[in-house]
Amino acid sequence: MEPEEQQAPQAEPRPEPPPEGAGGSGFAGLSRAGRAVVAISAALAVLAVAVHLSMVFLHVAPSNTLSKQHGEGIDDYVYPEFEQNWKLFAPNPLQQNIAVQARARVAKDDGSTETTGWVDLSRMDGEAIDHSVAPSHVQQNELRRGWEFYRGAHDEKGKPVGLRGELSETYVKRIVMLRFGRELNGGTVERIQVRSATTPVKPPPWSDEKSDAKTEYQTQPWWQVGSADLPGGWDQ
Amino acid sequence: MAPAQPPAHAPVPAQPPAPARPFAAYDEPDEDRFLARGLARVTGEAVAPYQTAVVRIGFALTWLFFLLREFPHRHELYGPDGPWSWRLAERLIDTNHAFTVLMWSDSAAWFEFVYLLAIAASLAVILGWRTRTATVIYMVGVLGLQNRSVFMGDGGDNVIHLMAMYVVLTRCAEVWSLDARRRRRAARAGSGSGGRSVKGASADVTGVVLWSVFGAVMLLATVGGSLSIGWGLFFWALWAAQAAWWLVNRYLPGSEARAVCDMVANLAHNATLLVIVVEVCLIYSTAGWYKIQGSRWQDGTAVYYPMNLDYFSPWPGLSSFLAGSGLLILLATYGTVMVQVAFPFTLFNRRVKNALLAAMIAEHLSIAVLLGLPFFSMAMIAADAVFLPTVALVWLGARFDGGRRRVLARVRPGRAQGAYGGGGHGPGSGSGGSGGGPDDGGDGGGSSPVPQQRSGDGLSVR
Repeated sequence: MEPEEQQAPQAEPRPEPPPEGAGGSGFAGLSRAGRAVVAISAALAVLAVAVHLSMVFLHVAPSNTLSKQHGEGIDDYVYPEFEQNWKLFAPNPLQQNIAVQARARVAKDDGSTETTGWVDLSRMDGEAIDHSVAPSHVQQNELRRGWEFYRGAHDEKGKPVGLRGELSETYVKRIVMLRFGRELNGGTVERIQVRSATTPVKPPPWSDEKSDAKTEYQTQPWWQVGSADLPGGWDQ
Repeated sequence: MAPAQPPAHAPVPAQPPAPARPFAAYDEPDEDRFLARGLARVTGEAVAPYQTAVVRIGFALTWLFFLLREFPHRHELYGPDGPWSWRLAERLIDTNHAFTVLMWSDSAAWFEFVYLLAIAASLAVILGWRTRTATVIYMVGVLGLQNRSVFMGDGGDNVIHLMAMYVVLTRCAEVWSLDARRRRRAARAGSGSGGRSVKGASADVTGVVLWSVFGAVMLLATVGGSLSIGWGLFFWALWAAQAAWWLVNRYLPGSEARAVCDMVANLAHNATLLVIVVEVCLIYSTAGWYKIQGSRWQDGTAVYYPMNLDYFSPWPGLSSFLAGSGLLILLATYGTVMVQVAFPFTLFNRRVKNALLAAMIAEHLSIAVLLGLPFFSMAMIAADAVFLPTVALVWLGARFDGGRRRVLARVRPGRAQGAYGGGGHGPGSGSGGSGGGPDDGGDGGGSSPVPQQRSGDGLSVR
């Protein structure tokens, strides 16, 4: 067994090399021009692979001397199509349930207004996921990732940051309205308010860690709902 | 983008005749000869045909299942009237310049067309029909939908996104494909008619039509300014390469030009396969090494937490049963980190690699169920499959082929042969019979379901 050759992963189904020289096929059998074309292509391929792998490596590696110096170049290369993040559950898995809840102020026909109770939209997602062999992205990702997007695009005080802040606000508003609908509790939805409810997962039963499973709320301001926030009217 | 892959069996006659010492000029320094041998190797064949094929099929199947699963939700996820509406997407894409054909029009009809095209392309890639073209459309479909609504995706979408781009540059239909079957038949027909095999390939009407249609579409897109310079160059280069390949096969079979084209295609395949392999290693390395730094992975409780997240616990009973055992959780936690960190290094030892590969596939299967992430898991298993031993893949292929034939025999008696045979590829045209798959000629029926091992390869599942 020749360890090096046979164990390289990409070398597995290796038939015998073409009979070089003998039949004249293969690289060695080419004319000078043919060899030049192939050699130049090979050089380009090596260069492309080296550049690509270096960029991707620096993108996924922790911030370091090289990536600090060339951060912009790396980002230009990697985004948007080669972006990747494999830190799901690392360095630590998420240890809290972040639920998105919403309530509405609705206008009734008799002119009165009413504020609904908080509706736990994430719990509704969770119930849809329960006993599902293949949960839909609509249940598993839409609100969860939409809220991540929103949090990431707002500063500590809850102020939107740049374009993404504005887009994420519209997006979350629409996700909520998609689930509420125009009519709620016998009235028309005029404003909505969203909050996140963060509950730490209880430590495992065998652990001696203190269990402090208090839910923390982060409440966003009331948002006006217009026709542009209702399904069907979004891009009008 | 027309005539598909190379007719692998087409002989490349010696022309011009090889000089007695082809590299006489380079005889002196040893490293030059080393370089020449290296070049001969990376240009002589498209390595790992079975692994590449299983990656192709695995990812296309994952995406197909996903598209079918989400069919009822497609409008909410990617449609012009989803909550991430067309205008919102437009404003974001103006800043990040992601490529998606869905931004070419905000009409519902265009969206439906793209979604159906993505389904059709996945099917074509699975079957290996016109794979060179189909993989490009498959990629356009994946990028089109995913980039349209980036905030709908997760890690599974991310792997599919990357692999959809990589697979375009590989020769992924050398085996287990309708393309390979067509080449096999053409080669048989050619050699059957005695001495006429030197004649060029057939006109290949389907290929020419496909190529023309895509040329027209790209012309419209380019003139209309819908393609960025980078993507435009990429697509036009692929389109030109298809034309060149068709021309050399039709008019210059057996010429040096054809041999050079073949070598450049092998080169692109081998380089891309290396990128795929390293990409998978990077996935495991980052997943593993970052975990090492986490306190929960250190104290052996990490796996407990995801099972208690509402979004990742579709089977609460099962999750709470597993989460009740501190020992099980510890073993799963440490095992995960060890396997992920170790895997790239085990590639240098076949036995350990195969053992860890089995462990990782098992882990992904359990993630599929426990965390409710079947598409992510399936994509990761498809990525893992690039490391499966050839013998295991050939064995699986034979099993599948046997099953398919039995089904066909029942459904359509008398026509139960010859569709999709496992073997019959010839990596490295011109290498004569040596490259033929172990199941070559398996269409004749009666071939052993267990393929014989290629002598000298030393490949085995141990």
